[in-house]
Amino acid sequence: MRSKTVFQQEFKIKGGDFVNAGESSCKIRNILKEIGIDADIVRRLAIIAYEAEMNVVLYARHGAMYLFVYPDKILLKIKDMGQGIENIDLAMRPGYSTATEEIREMGFGAGMGLPNIKKNADVFKITSKVGKGTALEIIINLNGKNG
Amino acid sequence: MAEISPLHSIKVNKKKCIGCVACMKACPTKAIRIRNQKAKIIYQRCIDCGECLRVCPYNAIVPITTKPSAVDIFKYKIALPSPVLYSQFGHEIMPNEILMVLKEMGFDQVYDEASVCEMINLAIEEYLDENKSPRPIISSTCPVVVRLIQRLFPSLCKHIIPIEPPREIAAKNLRQEISKEKNIPEQEIGIIHITPCSAKMVSINHPETMEKSHLDGALSIREIYNKVMMKLKKEKRPLMLQTQTRISGIGIGWSIPGGEIRGLKYSNSVSVSGLYDTITILEDVESGKLKDIEYLECLICPDGCLGGPLTVENRFIAKSNILRLIRTFGGKKRVDVNFVKKLYRDNFFSFEHGVKPKPFAPLDKNRSKAIKKMKLKEKIIEKLPGIDCGVCGAPDCRTLAEDIVRGDAQLKDCIYLTTKKYKRKENYGKKKN
Ligand SMILES: Nc1ncnc2c1ncn2[C@@H]1O[C@H](COP(=O)(O)OP(=O)(O)OP(=O)(O)O)[C@@H](O)[C@H]1O
Ligand code: SF4
Ligand SMILES: [Mg+2]
Repeated sequence: MRSKTVFQQEFKIKGGDFVNAGESSCKIRNILKEIGIDADIVRRLAIIAYEAEMNVVLYARHGAMYLFVYPDKILLKIKDMGQGIENIDLAMRPGYSTATEEIREMGFGAGMGLPNIKKNADVFKITSKVGKGTALEIIINLNGKNG
Repeated sequence: MAEISPLHSIKVNKKKCIGCVACMKACPTKAIRIRNQKAKIIYQRCIDCGECLRVCPYNAIVPITTKPSAVDIFKYKIALPSPVLYSQFGHEIMPNEILMVLKEMGFDQVYDEASVCEMINLAIEEYLDENKSPRPIISSTCPVVVRLIQRLFPSLCKHIIPIEPPREIAAKNLRQEISKEKNIPEQEIGIIHITPCSAKMVSINHPETMEKSHLDGALSIREIYNKVMMKLKKEKRPLMLQTQTRISGIGIGWSIPGGEIRGLKYSNSVSVSGLYDTITILEDVESGKLKDIEYLECLICPDGCLGGPLTVENRFIAKSNILRLIRTFGGKKRVDVNFVKKLYRDNFFSFEHGVKPKPFAPLDKNRSKAIKKMKLKEKIIEKLPGIDCGVCGAPDCRTLAEDIVRGDAQLKDCIYLTTKKYKRKENYGKKKN
Protein backbone atom coordinates (compact mmCIF):
# COMPACT_ATOMS: atom_id res chain seq x y z
CA MET A 1 0.00 0.00 0.00
CA ARG A 2 2.52 2.57 -1.06
CA SER A 3 1.36 6.07 -1.53
CA LYS A 4 3.10 9.16 -2.81
CA THR A 5 1.74 11.13 0.06
CA VAL A 6 4.27 10.79 2.79
CA PHE A 7 5.69 13.15 5.33
CA GLN A 8 9.15 12.22 6.42
CA GLN A 9 11.68 13.62 8.82
CA GLU A 10 14.98 12.57 10.31
CA PHE A 11 15.97 13.07 13.94
CA LYS A 12 19.55 12.60 15.02
CA ILE A 13 20.31 11.04 18.39
CA LYS A 14 23.62 11.26 20.24
CA GLY A 15 24.73 8.42 22.45
CA GLY A 16 25.32 9.36 26.05
CA ASP A 17 23.52 12.67 25.70
CA PHE A 18 21.08 12.58 28.59
CA VAL A 19 20.52 16.33 28.52
CA ASN A 20 18.73 16.34 25.19
CA ALA A 21 17.37 12.81 25.41
CA GLY A 22 13.67 12.62 24.73
CA GLU A 23 13.56 15.68 22.50
CA SER A 24 13.17 13.80 19.25
CA SER A 25 10.27 11.77 20.51
CA CYS A 26 8.69 15.00 21.69
CA LYS A 27 9.01 16.54 18.22
CA ILE A 28 7.55 13.44 16.66
CA ARG A 29 4.52 13.69 18.91
CA ASN A 30 3.95 17.28 17.95
CA ILE A 31 4.09 16.46 14.25
CA LEU A 32 1.59 13.66 14.64
CA LYS A 33 -0.78 15.86 16.61
CA GLU A 34 -0.64 18.54 13.96
CA ILE A 35 -1.44 16.03 11.25
CA GLY A 36 -4.43 15.03 13.32
CA ILE A 37 -3.43 11.50 14.31
CA ASP A 38 -5.70 9.97 16.94
CA ALA A 39 -4.66 10.71 20.54
CA ASP A 40 -4.27 7.05 21.48
CA ILE A 41 -2.05 6.34 18.49
CA VAL A 42 0.06 9.39 19.32
CA ARG A 43 0.39 7.99 22.81
CA ARG A 44 1.54 4.59 21.51
CA LEU A 45 4.09 6.22 19.24
CA ALA A 46 5.22 8.51 22.02
CA ILE A 47 6.09 5.50 24.15
CA ILE A 48 7.76 3.67 21.26
CA ALA A 49 9.83 6.67 20.17
CA TYR A 50 10.89 7.52 23.70
CA GLU A 51 11.99 3.98 24.58
CA ALA A 52 13.83 3.55 21.30
CA GLU A 53 15.51 6.94 21.62
CA MET A 54 16.63 6.13 25.15
CA ASN A 55 18.11 2.82 24.04
CA VAL A 56 20.23 4.66 21.49
CA VAL A 57 21.31 7.17 24.13
CA LEU A 58 22.16 4.34 26.53
CA TYR A 59 23.72 1.71 24.29
CA ALA A 60 25.05 3.38 21.14
CA ARG A 61 27.46 6.08 19.99
CA HIS A 62 25.01 7.76 17.72
CA GLY A 63 21.93 7.04 15.73
CA ALA A 64 18.87 8.49 14.08
CA MET A 65 15.15 8.13 14.03
CA TYR A 66 13.23 8.34 10.74
CA LEU A 67 9.55 9.13 10.79
CA PHE A 68 7.32 8.40 7.80
CA VAL A 69 3.67 9.35 7.96
CA TYR A 70 1.46 7.82 5.28
CA PRO A 71 -2.30 8.31 5.06
CA ASP A 72 -2.82 4.75 6.26
CA LYS A 73 0.16 4.04 8.51
CA ILE A 74 3.08 5.40 10.41
CA LEU A 75 6.52 3.93 9.94
CA LEU A 76 9.28 4.62 12.41
CA LYS A 77 12.84 3.44 11.82
CA ILE A 78 15.57 3.72 14.38
CA LYS A 79 19.14 2.94 13.41
CA ASP A 80 22.22 3.23 15.51
CA MET A 81 25.96 2.69 15.44
CA GLY A 82 26.67 1.01 18.71
CA GLN A 83 27.44 -2.12 20.62
CA GLY A 84 24.66 -4.12 19.06
CA ILE A 85 22.70 -6.91 20.71
CA GLU A 86 24.12 -10.38 21.04
CA ASN A 87 20.99 -12.31 21.81
CA ILE A 88 17.86 -10.62 20.57
CA ASP A 89 15.46 -13.14 22.10
CA LEU A 90 16.99 -12.47 25.46
CA ALA A 91 16.91 -8.68 24.98
CA MET A 92 13.22 -8.88 24.14
CA ARG A 93 12.42 -10.63 27.39
CA PRO A 94 10.64 -8.38 29.89
CA GLY A 95 12.98 -7.56 32.74
CA TYR A 96 16.18 -8.41 30.87
CA SER A 97 18.67 -5.58 30.99
CA THR A 98 22.41 -5.08 30.79
CA ALA A 99 22.19 -1.59 32.23
CA THR A 100 24.91 -0.69 34.70
CA GLU A 101 24.27 0.31 38.28
CA GLU A 102 24.73 4.00 37.40
CA ILE A 103 22.17 3.80 34.64
CA ARG A 104 19.72 2.05 36.94
CA GLU A 105 20.15 4.82 39.43
CA MET A 106 19.02 7.23 36.74
CA GLY A 107 15.76 5.33 36.52
CA PHE A 108 16.47 3.22 33.43
CA GLY A 109 17.27 -0.46 33.10
CA ALA A 110 13.99 -2.10 34.07
CA GLY A 111 14.32 -4.17 30.93
CA MET A 112 10.89 -3.06 29.77
CA GLY A 113 11.83 -0.83 26.82
CA LEU A 114 11.90 -3.32 23.95
CA PRO A 115 8.90 -5.32 25.24
CA ASN A 116 6.95 -2.08 25.54
CA ILE A 117 7.87 -1.05 22.01
CA LYS A 118 6.70 -4.39 20.72
CA LYS A 119 3.49 -4.26 22.69
CA ASN A 120 2.57 -0.86 21.25
CA ALA A 121 3.53 -1.62 17.64
CA ASP A 122 1.40 -3.31 14.99
CA VAL A 123 4.50 -4.51 13.17
CA PHE A 124 7.85 -4.77 14.91
CA LYS A 125 11.20 -5.78 13.41
CA ILE A 126 14.58 -5.76 15.03
CA THR A 127 17.98 -6.57 13.56
CA SER A 128 21.36 -6.14 15.16
CA LYS A 129 25.02 -6.86 14.66
CA VAL A 130 27.38 -7.01 17.59
CA GLY A 131 29.90 -4.22 17.43
CA LYS A 132 28.08 -2.56 14.53
CA GLY A 133 24.65 -1.45 15.59
CA THR A 134 20.94 -2.07 15.86
CA ALA A 135 17.95 -1.26 13.68
CA LEU A 136 14.28 -1.20 14.60
CA GLU A 137 11.33 -0.91 12.28
CA ILE A 138 7.93 -0.15 13.66
CA ILE A 139 4.62 0.22 11.90
CA ILE A 140 1.40 1.47 13.37
CA ASN A 141 -1.67 1.18 11.19
CA LEU A 142 -4.05 4.09 11.06
CA ASN A 143 -7.71 3.30 10.87
CA GLY A 144 -9.46 3.86 7.59
CA LYS A 145 -11.23 7.14 8.41
CA ASN A 146 -9.85 10.27 6.73
CA GLY A 147 -7.77 8.16 4.34
CA MET B 1 -25.91 33.51 35.44
CA ALA B 2 -28.03 36.20 33.91
CA GLU B 3 -25.20 37.97 32.15
CA ILE B 4 -23.39 36.84 29.03
CA SER B 5 -21.66 33.58 29.49
CA PRO B 6 -18.39 33.81 27.62
CA LEU B 7 -16.55 30.70 26.56
CA HIS B 8 -13.39 32.34 27.70
CA SER B 9 -12.31 34.59 30.49
CA ILE B 10 -9.93 36.95 28.73
CA LYS B 11 -10.49 39.67 26.19
CA VAL B 12 -8.51 42.43 24.51
CA ASN B 13 -9.27 46.07 25.19
CA LYS B 14 -8.70 47.44 21.70
CA LYS B 15 -8.40 51.01 22.91
CA LYS B 16 -5.50 50.19 25.17
CA CYS B 17 -3.76 47.65 22.94
CA ILE B 18 -0.98 49.12 20.82
CA GLY B 19 -0.10 45.90 19.03
CA CYS B 20 3.24 45.13 20.66
CA VAL B 21 4.24 41.46 20.68
CA ALA B 22 4.41 40.83 24.44
CA CYS B 23 1.25 38.74 24.84
CA MET B 24 1.68 36.94 21.56
CA LYS B 25 5.17 35.85 22.56
CA ALA B 26 4.09 34.76 26.04
CA CYS B 27 1.17 32.61 24.94
CA PRO B 28 2.01 28.93 25.48
CA THR B 29 -0.52 27.64 22.96
CA LYS B 30 0.19 30.25 20.29
CA ALA B 31 -3.34 31.55 20.50
CA ILE B 32 -2.55 35.21 19.82
CA ARG B 33 -1.82 37.03 16.57
CA ILE B 34 -1.35 40.71 15.85
CA ARG B 35 -3.82 41.86 13.21
CA ASN B 36 -4.24 45.53 12.24
CA GLN B 37 -1.92 46.48 15.07
CA LYS B 38 -4.10 44.89 17.71
CA ALA B 39 -3.79 41.64 19.57
CA LYS B 40 -6.32 39.06 18.45
CA ILE B 41 -7.07 36.00 20.54
CA ILE B 42 -7.82 32.82 18.63
CA TYR B 43 -10.26 31.47 21.17
CA GLN B 44 -10.17 27.89 19.91
CA ARG B 45 -6.55 27.76 21.03
CA CYS B 46 -6.89 29.70 24.31
CA ILE B 47 -6.63 27.74 27.56
CA ASP B 48 -7.24 30.77 29.85
CA CYS B 49 -3.90 30.53 31.60
CA GLY B 50 -3.64 34.30 31.97
CA GLU B 51 -0.03 34.58 30.80
CA CYS B 52 -0.99 37.39 28.39
CA LEU B 53 -2.64 39.24 31.20
CA ARG B 54 0.53 39.07 33.27
CA VAL B 55 2.88 40.34 30.60
CA CYS B 56 0.84 43.08 28.94
CA PRO B 57 2.58 46.39 29.64
CA TYR B 58 -0.56 48.38 28.77
CA ASN B 59 -3.21 46.56 30.82
CA ALA B 60 -4.94 45.84 27.57
CA ILE B 61 -5.78 42.24 28.38
CA VAL B 62 -8.89 42.17 30.52
CA PRO B 63 -10.05 39.29 32.69
CA ILE B 64 -13.76 38.59 32.60
CA THR B 65 -15.39 37.79 35.93
CA THR B 66 -18.91 38.10 37.30
CA LYS B 67 -20.32 41.62 37.48
CA PRO B 68 -21.31 42.65 41.01
CA SER B 69 -24.77 43.55 39.69
CA ALA B 70 -25.19 39.94 38.59
CA VAL B 71 -24.48 38.81 42.14
CA ASP B 72 -27.28 41.02 43.47
CA ILE B 73 -29.90 39.04 41.57
CA PHE B 74 -29.66 36.24 44.09
CA LYS B 75 -31.86 36.31 47.15
CA TYR B 76 -29.31 34.59 49.36
CA LYS B 77 -25.67 35.32 48.57
CA ILE B 78 -22.80 33.18 49.76
CA ALA B 79 -19.11 34.01 49.35
CA LEU B 80 -16.80 31.04 48.97
CA PRO B 81 -13.27 32.42 48.88
CA SER B 82 -10.25 30.49 47.72
CA PRO B 83 -7.93 30.08 50.75
CA VAL B 84 -5.48 32.24 48.78
CA LEU B 85 -7.51 35.22 49.94
CA TYR B 86 -6.22 34.68 53.50
CA SER B 87 -2.67 35.35 52.30
CA GLN B 88 -3.32 38.73 50.75
CA PHE B 89 -3.60 41.16 53.66
CA GLY B 90 -0.46 40.71 55.69
CA HIS B 91 0.34 38.24 58.42
CA GLU B 92 -1.59 39.87 61.20
CA ILE B 93 -4.98 39.50 59.63
CA MET B 94 -6.72 36.24 60.47
CA PRO B 95 -9.02 34.35 58.08
CA ASN B 96 -12.11 35.01 60.16
CA GLU B 97 -11.57 38.75 60.00
CA ILE B 98 -11.51 38.53 56.22
CA LEU B 99 -14.60 36.35 56.18
CA MET B 100 -16.41 38.86 58.37
CA VAL B 101 -15.49 41.74 56.14
CA LEU B 102 -16.90 39.84 53.17
CA LYS B 103 -20.13 39.48 55.06
CA GLU B 104 -20.22 43.18 55.77
CA MET B 105 -19.84 43.73 52.05
CA GLY B 106 -23.27 42.26 51.41
CA PHE B 107 -22.97 38.50 51.50
CA ASP B 108 -25.53 36.70 53.63
CA GLN B 109 -23.03 34.06 54.46
CA VAL B 110 -19.36 33.31 53.98
CA TYR B 111 -17.82 29.89 53.97
CA ASP B 112 -14.32 28.58 54.46
CA GLU B 113 -13.37 26.26 51.61
CA ALA B 114 -10.41 24.87 53.52
CA SER B 115 -12.37 22.25 55.47
CA VAL B 116 -13.62 20.76 52.23
CA CYS B 117 -10.02 20.48 50.98
CA GLU B 118 -9.44 18.02 53.77
CA MET B 119 -12.38 15.91 52.64
CA ILE B 120 -11.13 15.89 49.08
CA ASN B 121 -7.75 14.71 50.34
CA LEU B 122 -9.44 11.65 51.79
CA ALA B 123 -11.50 11.11 48.66
CA ILE B 124 -8.36 11.19 46.52
CA GLU B 125 -6.81 8.58 48.75
CA GLU B 126 -9.88 6.36 48.48
CA TYR B 127 -9.73 6.64 44.72
CA LEU B 128 -6.03 5.80 44.57
CA ASP B 129 -6.61 2.82 46.86
CA GLU B 130 -9.29 1.20 44.80
CA ASN B 131 -8.49 2.30 41.27
CA LYS B 132 -5.60 0.77 39.38
CA SER B 133 -5.77 2.62 36.06
CA PRO B 134 -2.48 3.82 34.46
CA ARG B 135 -0.41 6.16 36.61
CA PRO B 136 0.13 8.92 37.37
CA ILE B 137 -3.34 10.08 38.32
CA ILE B 138 -3.50 13.83 37.71
CA SER B 139 -5.24 16.41 39.90
CA SER B 140 -8.41 18.12 38.62
CA THR B 141 -8.04 21.26 40.73
CA CYS B 142 -6.61 23.77 38.26
CA PRO B 143 -9.04 24.34 35.39
CA VAL B 144 -6.22 25.49 33.13
CA VAL B 145 -4.38 22.21 33.58
CA VAL B 146 -7.55 20.33 32.67
CA ARG B 147 -7.92 22.39 29.53
CA LEU B 148 -4.24 22.08 28.70
CA ILE B 149 -4.56 18.30 28.86
CA GLN B 150 -7.69 18.33 26.70
CA ARG B 151 -5.95 20.45 24.09
CA LEU B 152 -2.28 19.50 24.09
CA PHE B 153 -2.26 16.09 25.74
CA PRO B 154 -5.64 14.58 24.85
CA SER B 155 -4.48 11.03 25.52
CA LEU B 156 -3.96 11.98 29.17
CA CYS B 157 -7.62 12.88 29.80
CA LYS B 158 -8.04 9.41 31.27
CA HIS B 159 -5.43 10.23 33.89
CA ILE B 160 -7.40 13.10 35.42
CA ILE B 161 -8.89 12.08 38.76
CA PRO B 162 -12.70 12.00 38.40
CA ILE B 163 -13.20 13.93 41.62
CA GLU B 164 -14.42 17.53 41.66
CA PRO B 165 -12.16 20.17 43.24
CA PRO B 166 -12.95 21.65 46.69
CA ARG B 167 -14.67 24.78 45.37
CA GLU B 168 -17.30 22.73 43.53
CA ILE B 169 -17.86 20.26 46.34
CA ALA B 170 -18.11 23.04 48.90
CA ALA B 171 -20.73 24.80 46.76
CA LYS B 172 -22.68 21.60 46.18
CA ASN B 173 -22.77 20.88 49.88
CA LEU B 174 -23.66 24.45 50.83
CA ARG B 175 -26.55 24.75 48.43
CA GLN B 176 -28.19 21.60 49.76
CA GLU B 177 -27.60 22.53 53.38
CA ILE B 178 -28.68 26.17 53.21
CA SER B 179 -31.71 25.40 51.12
CA LYS B 180 -32.90 22.91 53.73
CA GLU B 181 -31.90 24.94 56.75
CA LYS B 182 -33.29 28.31 55.64
CA ASN B 183 -36.03 26.96 53.44
CA ILE B 184 -34.85 28.84 50.36
CA PRO B 185 -35.24 27.36 46.85
CA GLU B 186 -31.85 26.20 45.57
CA GLN B 187 -31.93 28.46 42.53
CA GLU B 188 -32.32 31.56 44.69
CA ILE B 189 -29.01 30.86 46.39
CA GLY B 190 -26.02 32.47 44.70
CA ILE B 191 -22.65 30.96 45.54
CA ILE B 192 -19.81 33.18 44.47
CA HIS B 193 -16.20 32.05 44.39
CA ILE B 194 -13.55 34.62 45.28
CA THR B 195 -10.85 33.66 42.83
CA PRO B 196 -7.15 34.20 42.10
CA CYS B 197 -7.69 33.58 38.38
CA SER B 198 -10.33 34.19 35.74
CA ALA B 199 -9.96 30.62 34.49
CA LYS B 200 -12.50 29.58 37.14
CA MET B 201 -15.03 31.69 35.29
CA VAL B 202 -14.75 29.30 32.38
CA SER B 203 -15.05 26.24 34.56
CA ILE B 204 -18.18 27.78 36.07
CA ASN B 205 -19.77 28.83 32.80
CA HIS B 206 -18.66 25.81 30.80
CA PRO B 207 -17.78 22.99 33.14
CA GLU B 208 -16.00 20.07 31.49
CA THR B 209 -17.22 17.34 33.81
CA MET B 210 -20.83 18.15 34.60
CA GLU B 211 -23.98 19.66 33.23
CA LYS B 212 -23.95 22.73 35.44
CA SER B 213 -21.41 24.09 37.88
CA HIS B 214 -22.36 24.26 41.55
CA LEU B 215 -20.98 27.80 41.63
CA ASP B 216 -22.88 30.79 40.28
CA GLY B 217 -20.05 33.14 39.57
CA ALA B 218 -16.65 34.41 40.57
CA LEU B 219 -15.25 37.71 41.76
CA SER B 220 -11.52 38.23 41.51
CA ILE B 221 -9.34 38.90 44.51
CA ARG B 222 -8.02 41.88 42.63
CA GLU B 223 -11.41 43.56 42.31
CA ILE B 224 -12.47 43.18 45.92
CA TYR B 225 -9.02 43.84 47.37
CA ASN B 226 -9.23 47.59 47.99
CA LYS B 227 -12.61 47.42 49.62
CA VAL B 228 -11.60 44.59 51.94
CA MET B 229 -8.33 46.27 52.81
CA MET B 230 -10.03 49.55 53.68
CA LYS B 231 -12.53 47.85 55.94
CA LEU B 232 -9.82 45.83 57.64
CA LYS B 233 -7.78 48.96 58.23
CA LYS B 234 -10.67 51.01 59.50
CA GLU B 235 -11.61 48.93 62.49
CA LYS B 236 -10.12 46.02 64.32
CA ARG B 237 -12.56 43.17 64.69
CA PRO B 238 -12.70 41.53 68.09
CA LEU B 239 -11.11 38.12 68.09
CA MET B 240 -14.03 36.58 69.99
CA LEU B 241 -16.27 36.77 67.00
CA GLN B 242 -13.93 34.63 65.02
CA THR B 243 -15.35 31.27 65.80
CA GLN B 244 -18.18 31.03 63.40
CA THR B 245 -16.38 28.76 60.97
CA ARG B 246 -13.83 26.17 61.81
CA ILE B 247 -10.67 26.81 59.88
CA SER B 248 -8.58 23.88 58.78
CA GLY B 249 -4.79 24.15 58.70
CA ILE B 250 -4.55 21.24 56.28
CA GLY B 251 -7.07 22.92 54.02
CA ILE B 252 -5.26 26.25 54.05
CA GLY B 253 -2.19 24.32 52.95
CA TRP B 254 -3.94 23.51 49.67
CA SER B 255 -3.13 26.98 48.45
CA ILE B 256 0.58 26.15 48.43
CA PRO B 257 1.88 23.77 45.78
CA GLY B 258 2.17 20.34 47.35
CA GLY B 259 -0.82 20.96 49.61
CA GLU B 260 -2.82 18.35 47.78
CA ILE B 261 -0.20 15.62 48.15
CA ARG B 262 1.14 16.48 51.59
CA GLY B 263 -1.58 14.56 53.39
CA LEU B 264 -1.55 11.56 51.03
CA LYS B 265 -0.14 8.28 52.26
CA TYR B 266 1.31 7.74 48.79
CA SER B 267 4.70 9.38 49.13
CA ASN B 268 5.61 8.80 45.49
CA SER B 269 3.44 11.76 44.51
CA VAL B 270 4.73 14.88 42.83
CA SER B 271 3.68 18.50 42.80
CA VAL B 272 4.50 20.82 39.91
CA SER B 273 3.68 24.48 39.48
CA GLY B 274 4.25 26.95 36.70
CA LEU B 275 3.24 26.82 33.07
CA TYR B 276 6.39 25.53 31.44
CA ASP B 277 7.21 23.01 34.14
CA THR B 278 3.68 21.67 33.89
CA ILE B 279 3.98 21.26 30.13
CA THR B 280 7.33 19.51 30.53
CA ILE B 281 6.04 17.07 33.10
CA LEU B 282 2.96 16.27 31.03
CA GLU B 283 5.26 15.55 28.08
CA ASP B 284 7.09 13.07 30.28
CA VAL B 285 3.83 11.46 31.36
CA GLU B 286 2.88 11.12 27.71
CA SER B 287 6.12 9.28 26.93
CA GLY B 288 5.31 6.80 29.67
CA LYS B 289 8.30 8.03 31.66
CA LEU B 290 6.49 8.63 34.95
CA LYS B 291 4.47 5.45 35.43
CA ASP B 292 5.92 5.02 38.90
CA ILE B 293 4.45 8.25 40.17
CA GLU B 294 1.15 7.75 41.94
CA TYR B 295 -0.41 11.19 41.95
CA LEU B 296 0.55 14.34 40.13
CA GLU B 297 -0.58 17.74 41.32
CA CYS B 298 -0.17 20.34 38.59
CA LEU B 299 -0.92 24.03 39.00
CA ILE B 300 -0.45 26.32 36.08
CA CYS B 301 0.64 29.40 38.01
CA PRO B 302 4.09 29.84 39.54
CA ASP B 303 3.73 28.80 43.18
CA GLY B 304 0.23 27.63 42.37
CA CYS B 305 -2.83 29.72 43.13
CA LEU B 306 -0.73 32.06 45.29
CA GLY B 307 0.77 33.22 42.00
CA GLY B 308 -2.62 33.47 40.29
CA PRO B 309 -2.88 36.33 37.78
CA LEU B 310 -5.66 38.06 39.74
CA THR B 311 -3.97 38.09 43.13
CA VAL B 312 -2.50 41.28 44.58
CA GLU B 313 0.12 40.30 47.13
CA ASN B 314 3.60 39.26 45.97
CA ARG B 315 3.47 35.48 45.88
CA PHE B 316 6.49 34.96 48.11
CA ILE B 317 5.04 37.15 50.83
CA ALA B 318 1.71 35.42 50.35
CA LYS B 319 3.39 32.07 50.82
CA SER B 320 5.01 33.21 54.03
CA ASN B 321 1.63 34.37 55.28
CA ILE B 322 0.06 31.01 54.48
CA LEU B 323 2.85 29.09 56.19
CA ARG B 324 2.24 31.16 59.27
CA LEU B 325 -1.48 30.36 59.15
CA ILE B 326 -0.78 26.66 58.78
CA ARG B 327 1.34 26.86 61.91
CA THR B 328 -1.40 28.73 63.74
CA PHE B 329 -4.21 26.38 62.83
CA GLY B 330 -2.16 23.21 62.99
CA GLY B 331 -2.30 19.99 61.02
CA LYS B 332 -5.04 18.38 63.04
CA LYS B 333 -7.52 16.50 60.87
CA ARG B 334 -10.97 17.87 61.45
CA VAL B 335 -13.17 15.74 59.25
CA ASP B 336 -14.72 12.43 60.14
CA VAL B 337 -13.03 9.74 58.03
CA ASN B 338 -16.00 7.37 58.00
CA PHE B 339 -18.36 10.14 57.01
CA VAL B 340 -16.15 11.06 54.05
CA LYS B 341 -15.83 7.42 53.03
CA LYS B 342 -19.59 7.14 52.94
CA LEU B 343 -19.91 10.30 50.84
CA TYR B 344 -17.24 8.91 48.53
CA ARG B 345 -19.15 5.67 48.08
CA ASP B 346 -22.30 7.67 47.35
CA ASN B 347 -20.33 9.42 44.56
CA PHE B 348 -20.78 12.78 46.25
CA PHE B 349 -17.34 13.90 45.00
CA SER B 350 -17.46 12.30 41.56
CA PHE B 351 -17.47 13.87 38.11
CA GLU B 352 -20.74 13.47 36.27
CA HIS B 353 -18.69 12.40 33.28
CA GLY B 354 -15.02 12.14 32.36
CA VAL B 355 -12.96 14.91 30.76
CA LYS B 356 -13.28 14.69 26.98
CA PRO B 357 -10.27 15.20 24.71
CA LYS B 358 -10.47 18.41 22.67
CA PRO B 359 -7.32 18.45 20.54
CA PHE B 360 -6.46 21.44 18.36
CA ALA B 361 -7.72 21.29 14.82
CA PRO B 362 -5.26 19.40 12.58
CA LEU B 363 -3.76 21.10 9.53
CA ASP B 364 -6.54 19.47 7.56
CA LYS B 365 -9.40 17.16 8.37
CA ASN B 366 -8.40 14.91 5.50
CA ARG B 367 -5.28 13.00 6.51
CA SER B 368 -3.67 12.96 3.06
CA LYS B 369 -4.14 16.70 2.77
CA ALA B 370 -2.82 17.21 6.29
CA ILE B 371 0.34 15.28 5.40
CA LYS B 372 0.82 17.42 2.28
CA LYS B 373 0.34 20.58 4.30
CA MET B 374 2.86 19.38 6.84
CA LYS B 375 5.40 18.92 4.06
CA LEU B 376 4.60 22.34 2.69
CA LYS B 377 4.99 23.83 6.15
CA GLU B 378 8.50 22.40 6.48
CA LYS B 379 9.39 23.86 3.07
CA ILE B 380 8.12 27.29 4.10
CA ILE B 381 10.06 27.12 7.36
CA GLU B 382 13.24 26.68 5.35
CA LYS B 383 12.53 29.90 3.49
CA LEU B 384 11.87 31.97 6.60
CA PRO B 385 14.71 33.71 8.45
CA GLY B 386 14.15 31.91 11.72
CA ILE B 387 14.61 34.88 14.01
CA ASP B 388 11.07 34.87 15.38
CA CYS B 389 10.71 38.66 15.32
CA GLY B 390 6.92 38.66 15.37
CA VAL B 391 6.48 41.56 12.94
CA CYS B 392 4.43 39.34 10.62
CA GLY B 393 1.82 39.08 13.39
CA ALA B 394 2.63 35.47 14.28
CA PRO B 395 4.63 34.63 17.40
CA ASP B 396 7.45 32.88 15.53
CA CYS B 397 8.48 31.74 12.08
CA ARG B 398 7.14 28.19 12.56
CA THR B 399 3.75 29.50 13.47
CA LEU B 400 3.69 31.84 10.48
CA ALA B 401 4.44 28.81 8.30
CA GLU B 402 1.54 27.00 9.91
CA ASP B 403 -0.76 29.98 9.42
CA ILE B 404 0.23 30.10 5.76
CA VAL B 405 -0.62 26.45 5.11
CA ARG B 406 -3.89 26.91 6.96
CA GLY B 407 -4.65 29.83 4.69
CA ASP B 408 -4.61 32.44 7.45
CA ALA B 409 -1.44 34.31 6.38
CA GLN B 410 0.84 34.82 3.41
CA LEU B 411 4.53 34.46 2.77
CA LYS B 412 4.74 38.17 2.04
CA ASP B 413 3.75 38.91 5.64
CA CYS B 414 7.39 38.24 6.50
CA ILE B 415 9.22 41.54 6.18
CA TYR B 416 12.55 39.80 5.78
CA LEU B 417 11.41 38.04 2.65
CA THR B 418 10.23 41.30 1.16
CA THR B 419 13.41 43.24 1.95
CA LYS B 420 15.68 40.38 0.88
CA LYS B 421 18.45 41.62 3.10
CA TYR B 422 18.53 38.78 5.52
CA LYS B 423 20.67 35.77 6.05
CA ARG B 424 18.97 32.65 7.30
CA LYS B 425 20.31 31.53 10.64
CA GLU B 426 22.12 28.25 10.19
CA ASN B 427 20.86 26.49 13.25
CA TYR B 428 17.23 27.42 12.93
CA GLY B 429 14.95 24.53 13.52
CA LYS B 430 17.42 22.86 15.86
CA LYS B 431 16.09 24.62 18.88
CA LYS B 432 13.60 23.04 21.20
CA ASN B 433 10.17 22.26 19.77
N1 LIG C 1 19.99 0.05 20.60
C1 LIG C 1 20.58 -0.89 21.36
N2 LIG C 1 21.90 -1.17 21.20
C2 LIG C 1 22.48 -2.12 21.96
N3 LIG C 1 21.84 -2.82 22.91
C3 LIG C 1 20.56 -2.60 23.10
C4 LIG C 1 19.84 -1.62 22.35
N4 LIG C 1 18.57 -1.61 22.74
C5 LIG C 1 18.47 -2.54 23.72
N5 LIG C 1 19.67 -3.14 23.94
C6 LIG C 1 19.97 -4.24 24.89
O1 LIG C 1 18.76 -4.88 25.22
C7 LIG C 1 18.51 -4.79 26.64
C8 LIG C 1 17.04 -4.65 26.89
O2 LIG C 1 16.59 -3.41 26.37
P1 LIG C 1 15.28 -2.73 26.95
O3 LIG C 1 15.07 -1.43 26.30
O4 LIG C 1 14.17 -3.73 26.86
O5 LIG C 1 15.62 -2.56 28.47
P2 LIG C 1 16.61 -1.52 29.15
O6 LIG C 1 16.98 -0.45 28.22
O7 LIG C 1 17.74 -2.30 29.73
O8 LIG C 1 15.73 -0.97 30.33
P3 LIG C 1 14.51 0.08 30.18
O9 LIG C 1 14.24 0.26 28.72
O10 LIG C 1 13.35 -0.55 30.89
O11 LIG C 1 14.99 1.32 30.83
C9 LIG C 1 19.35 -3.64 27.09
O12 LIG C 1 19.72 -3.74 28.44
C10 LIG C 1 20.55 -3.73 26.18
O13 LIG C 1 21.48 -4.69 26.62
S1 SF4 D 1 -2.98 27.57 39.48
FE1 SF4 D 1 -4.72 28.30 40.64
S2 SF4 D 1 -4.82 30.49 40.19
FE2 SF4 D 1 -3.54 29.57 38.64
S3 SF4 D 1 -4.93 29.11 36.94
FE3 SF4 D 1 -4.78 27.25 38.17
S4 SF4 D 1 -6.50 27.40 39.58
FE4 SF4 D 1 -6.19 29.46 38.75
MG1 LIG E 1 15.48 0.62 27.16
